[in-house]
Amino acid sequence: MTNPARSGAGDDQRDSDLIARWKAGDERAATELVERHSAALARFAVSSGERNDIDELVQDTFVRAFNSLDGFRGDSSFRTWLFTIERRLLLDRRRSEKRRRDRTEIQESDSATEYDALDSVVADETQRRLHDAVAQLSPTQREVFALRVAEGLSYKEIAEAVGTTEGAARVHYHNAMRAVKEFLDE
Amino acid sequence: MNDCPNAEIRDQLPDLLHDRLDVSMRAAVMAHIDECVDCRSELELLRGVHGMLTAQTPRVDINYVVNALPKRAPHALRVVPRRRVWSDWRIAAAVAVLAIGSGSFAVLRQSQTTPSVTVPPLASHSNPAPVDSTNGVTTPSADTVVRVADNAGGSETSPDAAKSADEQTGAAGLATTARLADLNERQLQALLDQIDQLQAVPITEPEPVTIRVGSQSSSPEGA
Ligand SMILES: [Zn+2]
Repeated sequence: MTNPARSGAGDDQRDSDLIARWKAGDERAATELVERHSAALARFAVSSGERNDIDELVQDTFVRAFNSLDGFRGDSSFRTWLFTIERRLLLDRRRSEKRRRDRTEIQESDSATEYDALDSVVADETQRRLHDAVAQLSPTQREVFALRVAEGLSYKEIAEAVGTTEGAARVHYHNAMRAVKEFLDE
Repeated sequence: MNDCPNAEIRDQLPDLLHDRLDVSMRAAVMAHIDECVDCRSELELLRGVHGMLTAQTPRVDINYVVNALPKRAPHALRVVPRRRVWSDWRIAAAVAVLAIGSGSFAVLRQSQTTPSVTVPPLASHSNPAPVDSTNGVTTPSADTVVRVADNAGGSETSPDAAKSADEQTGAAGLATTARLADLNERQLQALLDQIDQLQAVPITEPEPVTIRVGSQSSSPEGA
């Protein structure tokens, strides 16, 4: 059984307390919320193939979240909700980037190519192999795999974050794991 | 690298990595891993991917993020009932004005010796009011004349009449005759208007009023 009290996704109760404090006017609570979740958001962005302006993406995610905290019902964890927001922003970025490329007639729509931009920063050979193994996954597999492996989200939380079902999230994860293993075994 | 046939245990490996398992499940998974080389390999792979993604992730500038956040929760601002605050403020101001006005009037009334302006009575009886022998209340005569002063220098009222008027209205704490230093005509009229407003408050238990018409007397209550 998964133990929510030892959630790697963060202490939900602590988040709720901080949100309540911020709503009451305690701006230090906002700082603590950012400190608690910014690294995970940045990691998810990198896992999804984002390389540029990570700070800006994380900032936009928090700004959007804080501006719509009234819409946060607590049905999912605060961190899962943040991933949902960040994922939408990432999709917006990619659409904008695609339009920009289309205008300049540079056809680089393959998402795996975007992810390969990370190559230059992966120095360690083992890490480079792992990076390449993840890079060859489909965007959805990569998102699910990253949320499960890097953030420890449950399938239910992943389903909420990426807008799919719990069963589909499980299938994506196991397909991703199989693909990674096969890549490393080559 | 092979997949362990125990799918349930494999599903728990990321949770083991992130310490999300309860005690019993953690013990079961650990016991299985001790026996299963495939699961040990997969757990190592998970650790490697987690470490790789973490190592590639740049550190976020917390201040950069925090400085862009809204400074106060939008709905916290909306909690303040602005109209109610204004309403309360206005009520408080109105009460204060009336209290100050009434208080000033009472104080000025006690300093009637100041020979400045004489305010005629709001209402006076041209004749001494007879007393109803049956209920003891003062009964105005049929030819009662009600006269509202329209200026401070208006017609003088006889001392007896003024005294009678004082006796009629003094119980309500409102002076009908006062010498008011430093007040001009407009200020006096303002005070009178305020008094009118105070008198507009309904009396919960009105006293019986007996009106004598000619030689007969009647009462609205039939008394
Ligand atoms: Zn096993």
